[in-house]
Amino acid sequence: MLRILDRLEETLIATLIGGATLLIFVAVVHRFASGIPLLYPLMQRIDLSWAQELCIYMFVWMAKFGAAYGVRTGIHVGVDVLINNLEASIRRWVVLFGLLCGALFTFVIGTMGAKFVIALMATDQVSPDLELPSWIVYACIPLGSYLMCFRFLQVSWSFIRTGALPHHDPSQVEGIPPAHDAFHPEGVVR
Amino acid sequence: MNAAFIFGLLFALMLTGMPISISLGLTVLTFLFTMTQVPIESVGLKLFTGLDNFQIMAIPFFILAGTFLTRGGVARRMIAFTVSMVGHWPGGLGLAGVGACAMFAAVSGSSVATVVAIGSIIMPAMVDHGFPRRFGAGVIATSGALGILVPPSIILVLYGVSTNSSIGALFIAGIVPGVMLAVMLGTVTWFVARRNDYPRLPRASWAERFRAFRESFWGLALIAIVLGGIYGGIFTPTEAAAIAAVYAFVITVFVYRDLRIVDVPRVLLNAANLSAMLLYIITNAVLFSFLMTSEQIPQAMAAWIIDRQFGVWTFLLVVNIILLMAGNVMDPSSILLIMAPILFPLAMSLHIDPVHLGILMAVNMEVGLCHPPVGLNLYVASGIAKMGISELTVAVLPWLGTMLLFLVMVTYIPQISLWLPHLLGVR
Repeated sequence: MLRILDRLEETLIATLIGGATLLIFVAVVHRFASGIPLLYPLMQRIDLSWAQELCIYMFVWMAKFGAAYGVRTGIHVGVDVLINNLEASIRRWVVLFGLLCGALFTFVIGTMGAKFVIALMATDQVSPDLELPSWIVYACIPLGSYLMCFRFLQVSWSFIRTGALPHHDPSQVEGIPPAHDAFHPEGVVR
Repeated sequence: MNAAFIFGLLFALMLTGMPISISLGLTVLTFLFTMTQVPIESVGLKLFTGLDNFQIMAIPFFILAGTFLTRGGVARRMIAFTVSMVGHWPGGLGLAGVGACAMFAAVSGSSVATVVAIGSIIMPAMVDHGFPRRFGAGVIATSGALGILVPPSIILVLYGVSTNSSIGALFIAGIVPGVMLAVMLGTVTWFVARRNDYPRLPRASWAERFRAFRESFWGLALIAIVLGGIYGGIFTPTEAAAIAAVYAFVITVFVYRDLRIVDVPRVLLNAANLSAMLLYIITNAVLFSFLMTSEQIPQAMAAWIIDRQFGVWTFLLVVNIILLMAGNVMDPSSILLIMAPILFPLAMSLHIDPVHLGILMAVNMEVGLCHPPVGLNLYVASGIAKMGISELTVAVLPWLGTMLLFLVMVTYIPQISLWLPHLLGVR
């Protein structure tokens, strides 16, 4: 069950970033093609004025769910200079306090967002270009924040049990060749 | 009083090690709950509208482009090109490393990506050729910092967005300081290498140089697309970033074949992870600067500064000190997002050019990346070079000193940043 949620989260954010990139690329190509007289009649029939708006919505959704994913991968940076110099027993409590504050904050935001979305559902407000119902667009705030809250609780739980925190290593890039594959110019002169 | 409460709470929360984004958000919520009548519901809306800006979307696009380009091929060909040009000079591989970092910085917007991409290829080569590890690590950790000064730069996008300055002008303004810093770092490398008689490579023939250039051409063309496109008014910075991402995908997957198509989803996921983290800090920083503005804190500070008749000179000195201190505890994006909205109105009241302030902040962030305790470049370089942080801290000193000298120059000679944008008439 949790595995399905993880996969869903990963697939969603990867699709959103890839989709948004393609969307803007196509919109730019479309604008260029419209400038060519020969293609103009064809291009004129396609209206892409909504592309920017959709791109923003896709990225806001990606940001909210990606932030939740980020809690799981430990990418959210904090100031750890002080706590790393604390005694282990005190550090444990401080770290736990930090994690629970994260859960509290995201819960409060999620609840505020949920109230806001429910209020919007009663109206027939739509977004300017796409004319999507606004409540669908804003639904990412409660959904993303509650998911993030859940992730913070998950990380706290595993920290209590194992004492380990997820850690993001920026030097680990997939596909970077190991040393033996490195660049070797031939011959050295002293 | 309110200002003291806000900053006190923010620092206290930050020191517990919780994510900076969360401490910003919690500070705002606590303050609004306890001390004001501002309708709390407006905060939820701000979390959405804070990102509702097409310019911000340049950040995930540049990160995606960078994530594709970090996969070896582009960096390796750039290194081959710079080695063929300067490899026969004293400390040839080191100089080539500086040059390759500057070139890679011109296609990638992040410092860490530059260190990883160039460092993981050139470090082992340098060790094989008998350079001491600390020399290589020192060169790469500091030159990698060029990533946030040479356009495109994520830091400059963040500055442009949070102060409403022109991202195009900032990018153009980053070129001259970027090249200058690269030359200065190269000079230091040359001196250190000559004094210690480090190895040189055989001189490459012009035919070899041309071949190396042709092979790295696809990567170099990206510089022309991004800068030419923005400057020529062909597309906006955000569109340029999206084009760069698609272009980077095409060259890494189809031209250089560094990446199989099945690996693409993982690249997307990595880029999304990093972008979402930055976007999350942005949303919370927007909340925080909303609080600052509604409490009129920057305005009060500006009035105080004008009252004391602080000159531009003293103000910039104080700005540098604050930023360098902040660089000891926080990562560049967070510092920028918190400080820019505060410093910007102050600088405006002293008639400092917004572009100059932006470049100055970027150079400060570069310095912060290269020294402990939180300099990310150092950590990444220490991972690549397999050296301890304390040893590496000493190793970077000659280059770090140069960067500080450069910081003073950028601070007090605004023409370094403003000459090119003014010449080209970019605003």
